[in-house]
Amino acid sequence: MPFSLRERKNVIVMAVLVFFNLFLISIQVPLGSEHTLFNKIIFSVFSPVQRAVVSAAAAVSETWNGFFGLRGARVENQKLKEDIFFLRQENLLLLDKLKFLQGDKMIQDNLAAIRKTVLSARVIGVDASNYYKSIVINRGGADGVKANMAVCDKYGNLVGRVIEPVALKEAKVQLITDEDSGVSVISGTDKVVGLLSGDSRGGCRIRYVVTTTLGGQEGEDLFTTGYDKLFPPGIRVGKITVIKTDGSFFKTIQVQPFFSYGDLDQVAVLKERFEDLF
Amino acid sequence: MANIKEILKTAAATLAAFVLYSLLGKIDPSLLLVLNTFSLVVIFFSMLKGELFGVLLGALCGLLQDSFSLGVFGVAGLSKTLLGFAAGYVSRKMNVFPFFRNFIFIFILATGELAVWAFLYTLVFSKNLITGNALIFFQPLATAVLGSLIFALARRLKTPQT
Repeated sequence: MPFSLRERKNVIVMAVLVFFNLFLISIQVPLGSEHTLFNKIIFSVFSPVQRAVVSAAAAVSETWNGFFGLRGARVENQKLKEDIFFLRQENLLLLDKLKFLQGDKMIQDNLAAIRKTVLSARVIGVDASNYYKSIVINRGGADGVKANMAVCDKYGNLVGRVIEPVALKEAKVQLITDEDSGVSVISGTDKVVGLLSGDSRGGCRIRYVVTTTLGGQEGEDLFTTGYDKLFPPGIRVGKITVIKTDGSFFKTIQVQPFFSYGDLDQVAVLKERFEDLF
Repeated sequence: MANIKEILKTAAATLAAFVLYSLLGKIDPSLLLVLNTFSLVVIFFSMLKGELFGVLLGALCGLLQDSFSLGVFGVAGLSKTLLGFAAGYVSRKMNVFPFFRNFIFIFILATGELAVWAFLYTLVFSKNLITGNALIFFQPLATAVLGSLIFALARRLKTPQT
């Protein structure tokens, strides 16, 4: 059946748009995780909308919880008081230990510097194609956020790093569970060093540890080394769950990250590298 | 004037889809696998306005979805452009508006779109697709249920009360 003039026009428009999308794909593939200007513009235009929506939803939720959660507040308050007591004790003990190593003045200066470098942020969006790849936070260039800054959860576990595009008040964070991410890590006990990347399914793997490497046990904690010049050393990353040697040149090491996806409502952006401070 | 009204309506629906997408992601990210709000908007307006409107809206919604994911820009843009065209073209050729037929039609469209997107995603990334414990396979069903309900609701609102 031949196409009418109108149908032909529609098919041409569709073909043009298909080629336009193919063109976008073809210029994006060699760029890898770098984003095109067009992509950055769309992100910058729509991310404030996302920010507004999530802030409004959070405000409603907080009001609701504040109203109906009063009954639980007393119990929670008691529990928090106990937690503060133990945390104070722990803090004092740690400060005492630190005083053995450094003078008072130096400690105060370092702590003040750390406080200035940590920026609290709220997660306002998740990746539309695979939620283990990236998140969007409500801090951007106007807050001093720049690409490659490390991001931790509220317990200090590594979550990922800031990547482009960074909008004025929003930024994208690549998670360590993304397949294309890379973090230099070291195991806590056996000091096995490797490159950690995600499996895009919520877990991680350590790559390039040859089978002849000694050490490495299941259950060992992993920390950042700082060798990658991206993440400050000593941040908790995850726990080794499985180590296998399946005849290949490298070991298969599976890792469960410490950060929990369900807990990612608030994160901390490390505005400066810690090794520059200490 | 009527055109501007239609464009404003579509823009409002796209914005609503984006708002819903943001809220779903905040509630539980796995909900984003079950329901693609942008597909719903593209199907709805393409069926009502035809394929030309469908391809333009599909490209816009797809690129919007792409800009909020860490991947290759244009993958969702391409699959939604084709979705918009298919929805508009077929609905102009045959009556797909009665409830049951509407459900089947949207289900087929959503399955086709998911298949094209998954194919492009695995082809471009050379990586396995995240299925979220097979939740993604419920996406066509969820889209069809919601889509046909929205059409039924729209019909009911349009029909004058006797």
